[in-house]
Amino acid sequence: MTDEIKPIGSIHVSPRAIAAIAYHAALQSYGLVGLTSKNIVEGLAQVLVKDPTHGVEVNYNGEQIKIDLYVIIEYGTRIKSVANSVKNSVRYHVEKALGMPIDEINVHVRGLRISSLD
Amino acid sequence: MSANPQIHNHQDNLTHKEINGQDLKKLVEASLTWLRTNQQIVNSLNVFPVPDGDTGTNMVLTMQAAFDEVKDSSEENLGEIAHTIAHGALMGARGNSGVILSQIWRGFARSVDNLPTMDTPNFVKAITVARDTAYKGVVRPVEGTILTVIKDLASKAESALDVTDNLVSMLELLVEEANASVQRTPELLPVLKEANVVDSGGKGLYFIFDGMLRYINGEVLDVTDAKVKPLAEMALANTMEQIEPGQDFEVVVDFRPQKELDLSIFYDNLEQMGTSIQVGEGDGIYRMHIHVPTENLYKPIDYTRDLGVVTKVAIENLIDQMENQQGGCNRTQPTITPIQPGHIAVIAVSPGVGISRVFASLGVAAIVEGGQTMNPSTQEIIHAFEKLPTDKIIILPNNKNIILTAKSATELSVKKVAVVPTSSIPQGLTAMMRLIPSGDFDSVIDEMNAAIEEVQTGEITIATRSVEIDGVEVEEGQVIGLLNGKLVLSTSSLDEACLGILEAAHAQDYELITLFYGADLPKKDIPILENLIQEKYPDQEIEIQEGCQPHYYLIISIE
Repeated sequence: MTDEIKPIGSIHVSPRAIAAIAYHAALQSYGLVGLTSKNIVEGLAQVLVKDPTHGVEVNYNGEQIKIDLYVIIEYGTRIKSVANSVKNSVRYHVEKALGMPIDEINVHVRGLRISSLD
Repeated sequence: MSANPQIHNHQDNLTHKEINGQDLKKLVEASLTWLRTNQQIVNSLNVFPVPDGDTGTNMVLTMQAAFDEVKDSSEENLGEIAHTIAHGALMGARGNSGVILSQIWRGFARSVDNLPTMDTPNFVKAITVARDTAYKGVVRPVEGTILTVIKDLASKAESALDVTDNLVSMLELLVEEANASVQRTPELLPVLKEANVVDSGGKGLYFIFDGMLRYINGEVLDVTDAKVKPLAEMALANTMEQIEPGQDFEVVVDFRPQKELDLSIFYDNLEQMGTSIQVGEGDGIYRMHIHVPTENLYKPIDYTRDLGVVTKVAIENLIDQMENQQGGCNRTQPTITPIQPGHIAVIAVSPGVGISRVFASLGVAAIVEGGQTMNPSTQEIIHAFEKLPTDKIIILPNNKNIILTAKSATELSVKKVAVVPTSSIPQGLTAMMRLIPSGDFDSVIDEMNAAIEEVQTGEITIATRSVEIDGVEVEEGQVIGLLNGKLVLSTSSLDEACLGILEAAHAQDYELITLFYGADLPKKDIPILENLIQEKYPDQEIEIQEGCQPHYYLIISIE
């Protein structure tokens, strides 16, 4: 749980909620064509998952928030640039919604989707 | 073409309905030049997806990489050239809009594959394939962005094919549509409407098409277009960095011409007098802005008086302003001492020449320019150490955003390369102090890693837009202070920000406070600030260094 102590009580945000924000921010990011579950074996990585807790892992250790994204990127784009954009976009949107800094965002490229013939 | 305004018309080359690879190359060069001229406009519009003000820069760098690939090519085949351009765009793609732009080029190139020349139907087809390719790269296309603009362009192109088969007329229609489409973006994307801007990437794409058309029409590409700009948009405050010799005074004249102004003659005459010419128009009143050498000071005023009624004149002494405001930032390049063969070499990323000089004095082997909005590429970093006579390389990225780039450099070199993840200049300098060039590689790295924990970093800059982060509310234009990368305060004055940061860092428990002042900080403010700090922290030693970094007024090291 992500806690913030306020004078009149506390606010709890569950990792699942953070994951949902991250999921939406990631999917809007150009070049990313899907998120994939971390635990699916390599060969099945092409299965795109629609549930916002799959493909996004949020860890909170009492001090730091860490987000791991497992993504599939469009073949033919520059992977580094796309991954950077995803990271920036997720960081911005989560921090904006949460009002707390994210310490670490890792983008794991799990596969490429080839959608055109070249 | 980069330096001289275009005077002749290139319509002849292109009215014969087909263009070849060399024609395309020239068009791309024109796009690049025009986009670069308008880069700051595009940057200033950047609010989506992340408001970091770098869309224009990213698009320029992507187009630059695309053009660089074909710059020296004499290939006539259009398909070949298009492929090379697309390859360059892919390799140089930076940021969201850069990636989309590279996809647009990729689709375009695929469509004209193997075509020796391109006619209008080929061109239209290529635009539609570019649209399809661009849309394939995203799960949830957000409308009101560059994607919408390429989509609108493709529809327009398809429908206009019935009207014309002339490439120039087609391009004219597309530029018009691009402009209209960009103007519609705030209706599609609420965040744009809230910020009262149009989409930055879309605007960038407009400049790319407009640059081609301007080239064909023989219009100027390296001066911001004043003819279409409303008076209110003239940004006169941002001219500081462009000042060169012969630009002693800035003269701004408002006047009402007696008869309609022939803009090309008007521009020609002004060019005889000075540079940095901008002309705006609104309700029959013209505003002319020019930088002139001292001997020409009154010429623009006399000239406009001949044309009509002068309503207002403003003159500013730029030389004086430069000295006061820019502090005449010392641009002396750092002197780097060559390293001994086999010793440990440190590569530091530095955002300003002053900071580079400090790094050089501490013995870095190479400096890579880069910082907040100008991340160096992996290539640039590798290039910096590739030729050094040693296999032991340490990289100090000195910025959170560059750490990753630096790390990828370690994987791409055969040398033994390590990154000490310094996320700020003070961390970088502290790490640098621990360098023993002849020492054991691993233990030097350990020392450096340990050292960066010991220093605190304060940074003071201006908020580029209103936002709330870390519970701190910020209004656009306010002074903001960051401590160790986190926003801790926003205020209206530099002094307050500086003292606030020192307080938040518990500076009283430390020994040395070093201020690196940026290129934008008025030099006269520094002694005042120094006194203020010394008064509050009498036990601490205070050091002032010229940093020359952009964006950040101050970088503060507390150790």
